Amino acid sequence: MIRKNRKSIAATLATATCSLLGNSIPEPVQAQEEPGWDFNTALLYYVEGDDRVDDLSLNVLARKTFLDDRSLSLGFAFDTLSGATPVGAVPFDSVQTLTRASGRSTYSVPADAIPLDATFWDTRYAIHANWQQPLGRLYSIDTGLSASFEYDYTHIGANFKLSRDFNKRNTTASIGLAFASDDMDPEGGAPVPLAPMLDVGDQSNKTGDESKDVIDVVLGVTQVISRNMLVQLSYSFSDSSGYLTDPYKILTVVDPVTGDPVPRVLAPGAEGPSHEYRFESRPDSRTKHSFYAQTKYYMSGKVLDASYRFMTDDWGIDSHTVDLRYRWPVGENKYFEPHLRFYSQSEADFYRISLVDGVPLPSYASADYRLGDFDALTVGLKYGWTLASGNEMSARIELYKQDGDAPQDQLIGNQLTREMYPDLDAIIAQFSYRFGR
Amino acid sequence: MRIFSKAVFVFSLVIGAGTGCSSMGVEPWERDVLAKEEMQLLADPVEAGLDDHIYFSKEASSGGRGFGGGGCGCN
Repeated sequence: MIRKNRKSIAATLATATCSLLGNSIPEPVQAQEEPGWDFNTALLYYVEGDDRVDDLSLNVLARKTFLDDRSLSLGFAFDTLSGATPVGAVPFDSVQTLTRASGRSTYSVPADAIPLDATFWDTRYAIHANWQQPLGRLYSIDTGLSASFEYDYTHIGANFKLSRDFNKRNTTASIGLAFASDDMDPEGGAPVPLAPMLDVGDQSNKTGDESKDVIDVVLGVTQVISRNMLVQLSYSFSDSSGYLTDPYKILTVVDPVTGDPVPRVLAPGAEGPSHEYRFESRPDSRTKHSFYAQTKYYMSGKVLDASYRFMTDDWGIDSHTVDLRYRWPVGENKYFEPHLRFYSQSEADFYRISLVDGVPLPSYASADYRLGDFDALTVGLKYGWTLASGNEMSARIELYKQDGDAPQDQLIGNQLTREMYPDLDAIIAQFSYRFGR
Repeated sequence: MRIFSKAVFVFSLVIGAGTGCSSMGVEPWERDVLAKEEMQLLADPVEAGLDDHIYFSKEASSGGRGFGGGGCGCN
Protein backbone atom coordinates (compact mmCIF):
# COMPACT_ATOMS: atom_id res chain seq x y z
CA MET A 1 0.00 0.00 0.00
CA ILE A 2 2.81 2.38 0.99
CA ARG A 3 4.77 1.49 -2.13
CA LYS A 4 1.74 2.26 -4.26
CA ASN A 5 1.31 5.69 -2.62
CA ARG A 6 4.95 6.52 -3.18
CA LYS A 7 4.56 5.67 -6.81
CA SER A 8 1.58 7.97 -7.19
CA ILE A 9 3.43 10.81 -5.42
CA ALA A 10 6.34 10.36 -7.78
CA ALA A 11 3.95 10.38 -10.73
CA THR A 12 2.27 13.57 -9.48
CA LEU A 13 5.62 15.28 -8.99
CA ALA A 14 6.75 14.21 -12.44
CA THR A 15 3.51 15.52 -13.93
CA ALA A 16 3.89 18.83 -12.10
CA THR A 17 7.52 19.16 -13.15
CA CYS A 18 6.68 18.39 -16.77
CA SER A 19 3.88 20.92 -16.78
CA LEU A 20 6.20 23.54 -15.32
CA LEU A 21 8.79 22.80 -17.97
CA GLY A 22 6.15 22.96 -20.62
CA ASN A 23 6.60 19.36 -21.79
CA SER A 24 3.64 17.50 -23.13
CA ILE A 25 2.34 14.98 -20.64
CA PRO A 26 0.15 11.98 -21.17
CA GLU A 27 -3.49 12.39 -20.17
CA PRO A 28 -4.17 10.86 -16.77
CA VAL A 29 -6.20 7.71 -17.00
CA GLN A 30 -8.62 8.80 -14.29
CA ALA A 31 -10.28 12.20 -14.42
CA GLN A 32 -10.55 13.88 -11.00
CA GLU A 33 -13.35 16.17 -12.00
CA GLU A 34 -15.14 16.66 -15.27
CA PRO A 35 -13.66 19.79 -16.84
CA GLY A 36 -16.21 22.45 -17.64
CA TRP A 37 -17.54 25.92 -16.99
CA ASP A 38 -19.48 26.93 -13.92
CA PHE A 39 -21.33 30.27 -13.91
CA ASN A 40 -22.24 32.16 -10.78
CA THR A 41 -24.39 35.20 -11.57
CA ALA A 42 -26.05 37.81 -9.37
CA LEU A 43 -28.20 40.88 -9.75
CA LEU A 44 -28.03 43.22 -6.77
CA TYR A 45 -30.06 46.30 -5.96
CA TYR A 46 -28.79 48.55 -3.19
CA VAL A 47 -30.87 51.56 -2.19
CA GLU A 48 -30.45 54.09 0.61
CA GLY A 49 -33.28 55.95 2.34
CA ASP A 50 -33.86 59.72 2.01
CA ASP A 51 -33.23 59.54 -1.77
CA ARG A 52 -29.53 58.94 -1.29
CA VAL A 53 -27.44 56.46 -3.31
CA ASP A 54 -28.92 53.60 -5.32
CA ASP A 55 -26.89 50.99 -7.16
CA LEU A 56 -27.92 48.29 -9.59
CA SER A 57 -25.16 45.74 -10.02
CA LEU A 58 -24.83 42.81 -12.41
CA ASN A 59 -22.14 40.25 -11.62
CA VAL A 60 -20.88 37.16 -13.43
CA LEU A 61 -18.19 34.82 -12.15
CA ALA A 62 -17.24 32.11 -14.65
CA ARG A 63 -14.97 29.33 -13.52
CA LYS A 64 -13.42 26.64 -15.69
CA THR A 65 -11.96 23.61 -14.00
CA PHE A 66 -9.30 21.55 -15.69
CA LEU A 67 -7.71 18.25 -14.78
CA ASP A 68 -5.32 18.16 -11.82
CA ASP A 69 -7.15 20.84 -9.80
CA ARG A 70 -6.20 23.68 -12.09
CA SER A 71 -8.83 26.37 -12.61
CA LEU A 72 -9.41 29.68 -14.33
CA SER A 73 -11.81 32.29 -12.89
CA LEU A 74 -13.10 35.23 -14.88
CA GLY A 75 -15.19 37.89 -13.19
CA PHE A 76 -17.22 40.72 -14.62
CA ALA A 77 -19.28 43.37 -12.83
CA PHE A 78 -21.30 46.28 -14.10
CA ASP A 79 -22.69 48.90 -11.72
CA THR A 80 -24.91 51.86 -12.34
CA LEU A 81 -25.01 54.27 -9.42
CA SER A 82 -27.01 57.42 -8.88
CA GLY A 83 -28.44 59.57 -6.15
CA ALA A 84 -27.21 61.97 -3.54
CA THR A 85 -24.47 61.69 -1.00
CA PRO A 86 -23.59 63.85 2.06
CA VAL A 87 -20.86 66.35 1.11
CA GLY A 88 -19.67 67.00 4.66
CA ALA A 89 -21.17 70.49 5.16
CA VAL A 90 -23.24 71.09 8.31
CA PRO A 91 -27.02 71.67 8.29
CA PHE A 92 -28.23 75.23 8.91
CA ASP A 93 -31.60 76.89 9.58
CA SER A 94 -31.66 78.75 6.28
CA VAL A 95 -30.98 77.82 2.66
CA GLN A 96 -27.33 77.17 1.69
CA THR A 97 -25.93 77.49 -1.83
CA LEU A 98 -22.87 75.53 -2.92
CA THR A 99 -20.78 75.38 -6.10
CA ARG A 100 -20.90 72.02 -7.87
CA ALA A 101 -17.70 69.96 -8.21
CA SER A 102 -17.63 70.79 -11.92
CA GLY A 103 -17.40 74.49 -11.02
CA ARG A 104 -20.00 75.24 -13.71
CA SER A 105 -23.10 75.88 -11.57
CA THR A 106 -24.49 75.98 -8.04
CA TYR A 107 -27.10 73.99 -6.11
CA SER A 108 -29.19 74.82 -3.07
CA VAL A 109 -29.71 72.90 0.14
CA PRO A 110 -33.03 73.44 1.99
CA ALA A 111 -33.00 74.86 5.52
CA ASP A 112 -32.28 72.32 8.29
CA ALA A 113 -31.30 69.61 5.78
CA ILE A 114 -27.99 67.75 5.78
CA PRO A 115 -26.28 69.02 2.59
CA LEU A 116 -26.26 66.37 -0.16
CA ASP A 117 -24.84 66.67 -3.65
CA ALA A 118 -27.59 65.28 -5.84
CA THR A 119 -25.70 65.28 -9.13
CA PHE A 120 -23.86 62.06 -8.49
CA TRP A 121 -24.26 59.53 -11.29
CA ASP A 122 -21.75 56.95 -12.43
CA THR A 123 -21.28 53.62 -14.12
CA ARG A 124 -18.56 51.18 -13.22
CA TYR A 125 -17.13 48.19 -15.06
CA ALA A 126 -14.90 45.76 -13.19
CA ILE A 127 -13.09 42.69 -14.52
CA HIS A 128 -10.74 40.16 -13.03
CA ALA A 129 -8.98 36.96 -14.06
CA ASN A 130 -7.38 34.45 -11.72
CA TRP A 131 -5.45 31.25 -12.37
CA GLN A 132 -5.13 28.61 -9.69
CA GLN A 133 -3.05 25.44 -9.79
CA PRO A 134 -1.17 23.00 -7.57
CA LEU A 135 2.61 23.17 -7.51
CA GLY A 136 3.84 19.74 -6.64
CA ARG A 137 1.96 17.76 -4.02
CA LEU A 138 1.71 20.30 -1.19
CA TYR A 139 1.86 23.76 -2.71
CA SER A 140 -0.63 25.70 -4.77
CA ILE A 141 -0.66 29.15 -6.32
CA ASP A 142 -3.40 31.58 -7.20
CA THR A 143 -2.48 34.56 -9.30
CA GLY A 144 -4.57 37.20 -11.01
CA LEU A 145 -5.18 40.62 -12.46
CA SER A 146 -8.03 43.06 -11.87
CA ALA A 147 -9.20 46.35 -13.32
CA SER A 148 -12.15 48.67 -12.94
CA PHE A 149 -13.27 51.73 -14.82
CA GLU A 150 -15.46 54.65 -13.82
CA TYR A 151 -15.98 58.05 -15.37
CA ASP A 152 -13.54 59.60 -12.88
CA TYR A 153 -11.64 56.60 -11.51
CA THR A 154 -9.48 53.80 -12.94
CA HIS A 155 -8.07 50.87 -10.99
CA ILE A 156 -5.50 48.28 -12.05
CA GLY A 157 -4.31 45.54 -9.71
CA ALA A 158 -2.36 42.30 -9.52
CA ASN A 159 -2.43 39.60 -6.85
CA PHE A 160 -0.52 36.45 -5.98
CA LYS A 161 -1.05 33.82 -3.31
CA LEU A 162 1.09 30.83 -2.38
CA SER A 163 -0.34 28.10 -0.12
CA ARG A 164 1.18 25.03 1.45
CA ASP A 165 -0.56 22.08 3.09
CA PHE A 166 0.74 20.41 6.23
CA ASN A 167 -0.39 17.73 8.62
CA LYS A 168 -2.31 15.45 6.17
CA ARG A 169 -3.76 18.61 4.59
CA ASN A 170 -5.44 19.56 7.85
CA THR A 171 -3.39 22.74 8.05
CA THR A 172 -2.88 25.17 5.19
CA ALA A 173 -0.64 28.20 5.46
CA SER A 174 -0.68 30.93 2.86
CA ILE A 175 0.94 34.20 1.97
CA GLY A 176 -0.73 36.64 -0.39
CA LEU A 177 0.49 39.84 -2.01
CA ALA A 178 -1.55 42.38 -3.92
CA PHE A 179 -0.67 45.62 -5.59
CA ALA A 180 -3.08 48.24 -6.91
CA SER A 181 -2.55 51.45 -8.79
CA ASP A 182 -5.53 53.79 -9.00
CA ASP A 183 -5.93 57.00 -11.01
CA MET A 184 -8.47 59.69 -10.25
CA ASP A 185 -9.67 62.33 -12.64
CA PRO A 186 -12.43 64.01 -10.60
CA GLU A 187 -15.11 66.15 -12.16
CA GLY A 188 -13.68 69.67 -12.33
CA GLY A 189 -10.21 68.48 -11.21
CA ALA A 190 -8.85 67.33 -7.85
CA PRO A 191 -9.16 70.12 -5.25
CA VAL A 192 -6.10 71.51 -3.50
CA PRO A 193 -6.50 70.22 0.09
CA LEU A 194 -8.29 72.76 2.34
CA ALA A 195 -8.72 75.23 -0.55
CA PRO A 196 -11.90 77.34 -0.27
CA MET A 197 -14.92 76.64 -2.45
CA LEU A 198 -14.99 79.39 -5.11
CA ASP A 199 -17.44 81.12 -7.43
CA VAL A 200 -18.77 79.45 -10.56
CA GLY A 201 -16.12 79.56 -13.29
CA ASP A 202 -13.15 80.01 -10.93
CA GLN A 203 -11.18 76.75 -10.90
CA SER A 204 -8.00 78.09 -9.31
CA ASN A 205 -8.64 75.82 -6.30
CA LYS A 206 -8.31 72.66 -8.45
CA THR A 207 -5.42 70.71 -9.94
CA GLY A 208 -5.50 67.92 -12.52
CA ASP A 209 -5.38 64.15 -12.05
CA GLU A 210 -4.20 62.37 -8.94
CA SER A 211 -3.22 58.78 -8.12
CA LYS A 212 -2.66 56.35 -5.29
CA ASP A 213 -0.95 52.99 -4.80
CA VAL A 214 -2.03 50.24 -2.43
CA ILE A 215 0.07 47.27 -1.28
CA ASP A 216 -1.59 44.40 0.63
CA VAL A 217 0.05 41.46 2.38
CA VAL A 218 -2.10 38.69 3.85
CA LEU A 219 -0.78 35.84 6.01
CA GLY A 220 -3.28 33.09 6.72
CA VAL A 221 -3.67 29.70 8.36
CA THR A 222 -6.61 27.37 7.84
CA GLN A 223 -7.00 24.48 10.25
CA VAL A 224 -9.37 21.52 10.20
CA ILE A 225 -10.48 21.06 13.81
CA SER A 226 -12.71 18.05 13.40
CA ARG A 227 -14.86 16.32 10.82
CA ASN A 228 -17.45 19.09 11.32
CA MET A 229 -15.38 22.19 11.97
CA LEU A 230 -12.64 24.29 10.47
CA VAL A 231 -11.16 27.69 11.29
CA GLN A 232 -9.22 30.32 9.45
CA LEU A 233 -6.98 32.96 11.02
CA SER A 234 -5.35 35.74 9.09
CA TYR A 235 -3.40 38.91 9.48
CA SER A 236 -3.49 41.58 6.77
CA PHE A 237 -1.27 44.56 6.28
CA SER A 238 -2.32 47.29 3.88
CA ASP A 239 -0.38 50.38 2.93
CA SER A 240 -1.93 53.14 0.79
CA SER A 241 -0.01 56.12 -0.48
CA GLY A 242 -0.82 59.02 -2.76
CA TYR A 243 -3.98 61.12 -3.01
CA LEU A 244 -6.27 59.63 -0.33
CA THR A 245 -8.49 62.70 -0.01
CA ASP A 246 -12.06 62.43 -1.29
CA PRO A 247 -12.23 65.12 -3.99
CA TYR A 248 -15.97 65.68 -3.47
CA LYS A 249 -16.02 66.17 0.31
CA ILE A 250 -15.97 69.57 2.03
CA LEU A 251 -16.21 71.17 5.49
CA THR A 252 -18.16 74.23 6.57
CA VAL A 253 -16.29 77.15 8.14
CA VAL A 254 -18.36 78.11 11.20
CA ASP A 255 -18.64 81.00 13.65
CA PRO A 256 -16.70 80.23 16.88
CA VAL A 257 -19.67 81.24 19.07
CA THR A 258 -22.88 80.32 17.23
CA GLY A 259 -21.49 77.33 15.27
CA ASP A 260 -23.41 78.60 12.22
CA PRO A 261 -21.84 78.73 8.75
CA VAL A 262 -19.91 81.94 8.10
CA PRO A 263 -21.71 83.96 5.37
CA ARG A 264 -19.71 84.74 2.27
CA VAL A 265 -19.86 88.08 0.44
CA LEU A 266 -20.56 87.64 -3.26
CA ALA A 267 -19.26 90.15 -5.80
CA PRO A 268 -22.09 91.85 -7.76
CA GLY A 269 -23.27 89.57 -10.57
CA ALA A 270 -21.21 86.61 -9.35
CA GLU A 271 -22.72 83.15 -8.74
CA GLY A 272 -21.13 81.17 -5.94
CA PRO A 273 -21.39 79.67 -2.46
CA SER A 274 -23.52 81.45 0.14
CA HIS A 275 -21.19 80.49 3.01
CA GLU A 276 -17.53 79.66 3.58
CA TYR A 277 -16.66 76.05 2.70
CA ARG A 278 -13.30 74.33 2.28
CA PHE A 279 -12.31 71.06 0.62
CA GLU A 280 -11.19 68.28 2.93
CA SER A 281 -7.60 67.12 3.43
CA ARG A 282 -6.36 63.64 4.40
CA PRO A 283 -2.81 62.38 5.00
CA ASP A 284 -1.10 61.03 1.89
CA SER A 285 -0.47 57.63 3.46
CA ARG A 286 -2.44 55.13 5.49
CA THR A 287 -1.33 51.86 7.10
CA LYS A 288 -3.94 49.35 8.21
CA HIS A 289 -3.60 46.12 10.19
CA SER A 290 -6.44 43.58 10.27
CA PHE A 291 -6.83 40.42 12.30
CA TYR A 292 -9.49 38.05 11.04
CA ALA A 293 -10.89 34.79 12.37
CA GLN A 294 -13.58 32.66 10.76
CA THR A 295 -15.08 29.33 11.64
CA LYS A 296 -17.49 27.00 9.87
CA TYR A 297 -19.32 24.49 11.98
CA TYR A 298 -21.59 21.74 10.67
CA MET A 299 -24.43 20.53 12.87
CA SER A 300 -26.45 17.71 11.29
CA GLY A 301 -27.13 19.58 8.07
CA LYS A 302 -27.08 23.11 9.46
CA VAL A 303 -23.97 25.23 8.97
CA LEU A 304 -22.84 28.10 11.19
CA ASP A 305 -20.45 30.59 9.59
CA ALA A 306 -19.05 33.02 12.17
CA SER A 307 -16.29 35.56 11.73
CA TYR A 308 -14.69 38.42 13.60
CA ARG A 309 -12.36 41.12 12.34
CA PHE A 310 -10.41 43.74 14.24
CA MET A 311 -8.87 46.55 12.21
CA THR A 312 -6.63 49.36 13.37
CA ASP A 313 -4.89 52.04 11.31
CA ASP A 314 -2.58 55.01 11.69
CA TRP A 315 -5.46 57.44 11.09
CA GLY A 316 -6.73 56.54 14.56
CA ILE A 317 -9.59 54.34 13.39
CA ASP A 318 -10.24 51.04 15.18
CA SER A 319 -13.08 48.80 14.06
CA HIS A 320 -14.74 45.56 15.10
CA THR A 321 -16.87 43.42 12.79
CA VAL A 322 -18.83 40.32 13.75
CA ASP A 323 -20.56 38.40 10.98
CA LEU A 324 -22.91 35.44 11.60
CA ARG A 325 -24.67 33.29 9.02
CA TYR A 326 -26.69 30.18 9.73
CA ARG A 327 -27.63 27.93 6.84
CA TRP A 328 -30.74 25.97 7.68
CA PRO A 329 -31.85 23.30 5.19
CA VAL A 330 -35.57 22.85 4.62
CA GLY A 331 -36.43 19.58 2.92
CA GLU A 332 -34.12 18.12 0.28
CA ASN A 333 -33.30 21.07 -1.93
CA LYS A 334 -34.05 24.27 -0.09
CA TYR A 335 -32.52 26.31 2.69
CA PHE A 336 -32.93 29.49 4.67
CA GLU A 337 -29.91 31.51 5.74
CA PRO A 338 -30.37 34.30 8.30
CA HIS A 339 -27.52 36.81 8.45
CA LEU A 340 -26.49 39.23 11.19
CA ARG A 341 -23.56 41.63 11.04
CA PHE A 342 -22.41 44.04 13.71
CA TYR A 343 -19.89 46.76 12.96
CA SER A 344 -18.42 49.51 15.09
CA GLN A 345 -15.69 52.02 14.33
CA SER A 346 -14.02 54.92 16.12
CA GLU A 347 -13.43 58.22 14.36
CA ALA A 348 -10.27 59.25 12.53
CA ASP A 349 -7.98 61.63 14.43
CA PHE A 350 -8.67 64.33 11.85
CA TYR A 351 -12.44 63.89 11.69
CA ARG A 352 -14.03 67.33 12.14
CA ILE A 353 -17.67 68.38 12.13
CA SER A 354 -16.63 71.81 10.86
CA LEU A 355 -13.71 74.25 10.70
CA VAL A 356 -13.78 77.15 13.15
CA ASP A 357 -13.38 80.64 11.70
CA GLY A 358 -10.34 82.52 13.01
CA VAL A 359 -8.55 79.35 14.18
CA PRO A 360 -5.45 78.31 12.17
CA LEU A 361 -6.30 75.51 9.70
CA PRO A 362 -5.29 72.00 10.80
CA SER A 363 -3.03 70.00 8.44
CA TYR A 364 -5.77 67.42 7.92
CA ALA A 365 -9.54 67.61 8.29
CA SER A 366 -12.48 65.63 6.95
CA ALA A 367 -16.19 65.67 7.75
CA ASP A 368 -16.81 62.49 5.73
CA TYR A 369 -19.33 60.53 7.84
CA ARG A 370 -17.47 57.32 6.90
CA LEU A 371 -14.50 58.48 8.99
CA GLY A 372 -16.73 59.27 11.98
CA ASP A 373 -17.66 57.29 15.07
CA PHE A 374 -20.58 54.99 14.26
CA ASP A 375 -22.11 51.54 14.70
CA ALA A 376 -23.79 49.59 11.94
CA LEU A 377 -26.13 46.63 11.88
CA THR A 378 -27.09 44.34 9.02
CA VAL A 379 -30.04 41.97 9.32
CA GLY A 380 -30.79 39.71 6.39
CA LEU A 381 -32.43 36.54 5.18
CA LYS A 382 -31.54 34.39 2.18
CA TYR A 383 -33.64 31.66 0.65
CA GLY A 384 -32.00 29.21 -1.74
CA TRP A 385 -33.23 26.28 -3.74
CA THR A 386 -31.88 23.72 -6.23
CA LEU A 387 -33.76 23.10 -9.47
CA ALA A 388 -34.34 19.67 -11.00
CA SER A 389 -31.54 20.46 -13.47
CA GLY A 390 -29.10 20.88 -10.57
CA ASN A 391 -28.83 24.62 -11.10
CA GLU A 392 -29.19 26.77 -8.00
CA MET A 393 -31.11 29.94 -7.28
CA SER A 394 -31.19 32.18 -4.25
CA ALA A 395 -32.75 35.45 -3.19
CA ARG A 396 -31.79 37.59 -0.23
CA ILE A 397 -33.01 40.76 1.36
CA GLU A 398 -31.06 42.68 3.97
CA LEU A 399 -31.39 45.90 5.92
CA TYR A 400 -28.26 47.91 6.67
CA LYS A 401 -28.38 50.67 9.25
CA GLN A 402 -25.66 53.08 10.38
CA ASP A 403 -26.08 55.04 13.57
CA GLY A 404 -23.44 57.63 14.38
CA ASP A 405 -22.80 60.43 16.80
CA ALA A 406 -21.03 63.71 16.22
CA PRO A 407 -18.22 64.13 18.76
CA GLN A 408 -19.80 66.24 21.54
CA ASP A 409 -16.57 68.10 22.29
CA GLN A 410 -16.54 69.46 18.72
CA LEU A 411 -20.08 70.86 18.71
CA ILE A 412 -20.40 74.62 19.03
CA GLY A 413 -23.43 76.81 19.86
CA ASN A 414 -26.44 76.00 17.70
CA GLN A 415 -24.81 72.79 16.44
CA LEU A 416 -25.77 71.22 19.78
CA THR A 417 -29.45 71.49 18.89
CA ARG A 418 -29.18 70.13 15.32
CA GLU A 419 -28.85 66.60 13.94
CA MET A 420 -25.24 66.79 12.73
CA TYR A 421 -24.55 63.19 11.74
CA PRO A 422 -26.14 61.70 8.59
CA ASP A 423 -27.48 58.33 9.73
CA LEU A 424 -27.96 55.79 6.97
CA ASP A 425 -30.62 53.19 6.22
CA ALA A 426 -30.22 50.96 3.19
CA ILE A 427 -31.87 47.91 1.64
CA ILE A 428 -29.87 45.23 -0.17
CA ALA A 429 -31.83 42.90 -2.46
CA GLN A 430 -30.11 40.20 -4.49
CA PHE A 431 -31.05 37.40 -6.83
CA SER A 432 -28.45 34.77 -7.74
CA TYR A 433 -28.42 32.00 -10.30
CA ARG A 434 -25.73 29.36 -10.54
CA PHE A 435 -25.55 27.04 -13.52
CA GLY A 436 -23.33 25.03 -15.82
CA ARG A 437 -22.02 22.34 -13.52
CA MET B 1 -20.11 46.73 23.50
CA ARG B 2 -21.00 43.41 25.14
CA ILE B 3 -21.12 41.72 21.80
CA PHE B 4 -17.60 42.85 21.04
CA SER B 5 -16.17 41.60 24.32
CA LYS B 6 -17.77 38.27 23.48
CA ALA B 7 -16.26 38.38 20.02
CA VAL B 8 -12.82 39.04 21.47
CA PHE B 9 -13.36 36.07 23.77
CA VAL B 10 -14.27 33.81 20.82
CA PHE B 11 -11.27 35.10 18.90
CA SER B 12 -8.95 34.23 21.82
CA LEU B 13 -10.48 30.75 21.99
CA VAL B 14 -9.84 30.22 18.31
CA ILE B 15 -6.26 31.45 18.65
CA GLY B 16 -5.81 29.07 21.58
CA ALA B 17 -7.24 26.22 19.54
CA GLY B 18 -4.91 27.05 16.67
CA THR B 19 -1.80 26.48 18.76
CA GLY B 20 -2.48 22.77 18.99
CA CYS B 21 -2.77 22.35 15.21
CA SER B 22 -0.60 19.29 14.81
CA SER B 23 -2.81 17.14 17.02
CA MET B 24 -6.00 18.19 15.25
CA GLY B 25 -7.67 17.29 12.06
CA VAL B 26 -9.13 14.31 10.30
CA GLU B 27 -8.02 11.40 8.18
CA PRO B 28 -8.48 11.74 4.41
CA TRP B 29 -11.53 9.43 4.47
CA GLU B 30 -13.25 11.64 7.06
CA ARG B 31 -13.59 14.64 4.80
CA ASP B 32 -17.14 14.04 3.57
CA VAL B 33 -18.63 16.95 5.52
CA LEU B 34 -15.71 19.31 4.95
CA ALA B 35 -15.97 18.69 1.20
CA LYS B 36 -19.53 20.02 1.07
CA GLU B 37 -19.91 23.27 -0.77
CA GLU B 38 -21.64 25.00 2.15
CA MET B 39 -18.63 24.14 4.36
CA GLN B 40 -16.16 26.06 2.19
CA LEU B 41 -14.80 29.20 3.86
CA LEU B 42 -15.88 31.25 0.87
CA ALA B 43 -19.13 29.46 0.04
CA ASP B 44 -20.54 32.18 -2.22
CA PRO B 45 -17.72 34.25 -3.75
CA VAL B 46 -20.02 36.56 -5.72
CA GLU B 47 -22.11 37.48 -2.70
CA ALA B 48 -18.96 37.96 -0.61
CA GLY B 49 -17.52 40.24 -3.29
CA LEU B 50 -20.72 42.32 -3.42
CA ASP B 51 -20.81 42.65 0.37
CA ASP B 52 -17.14 43.63 0.51
CA HIS B 53 -17.81 46.30 -2.10
CA ILE B 54 -20.80 47.73 -0.22
CA TYR B 55 -19.03 47.86 3.14
CA PHE B 56 -15.81 49.18 1.60
CA SER B 57 -17.87 52.06 0.18
CA LYS B 58 -19.72 52.87 3.41
CA GLU B 59 -17.23 52.14 6.18
CA ALA B 60 -13.59 52.95 6.93
CA SER B 61 -12.51 49.28 7.06
CA SER B 62 -11.92 46.70 4.34
CA GLY B 63 -10.21 43.37 3.82
CA GLY B 64 -9.50 40.83 6.53
CA ARG B 65 -10.86 37.79 4.77
CA GLY B 66 -8.70 38.48 1.75
CA PHE B 67 -7.21 41.48 0.04
CA GLY B 68 -8.43 44.96 0.87
CA GLY B 69 -10.85 45.32 -1.99
CA GLY B 70 -11.53 48.75 -3.34
CA GLY B 71 -10.81 49.94 -6.79
CA CYS B 72 -13.57 52.49 -6.77
CA GLY B 73 -14.07 56.16 -6.06
CA CYS B 74 -17.02 55.16 -3.97
CA ASN B 75 -19.63 57.59 -2.73
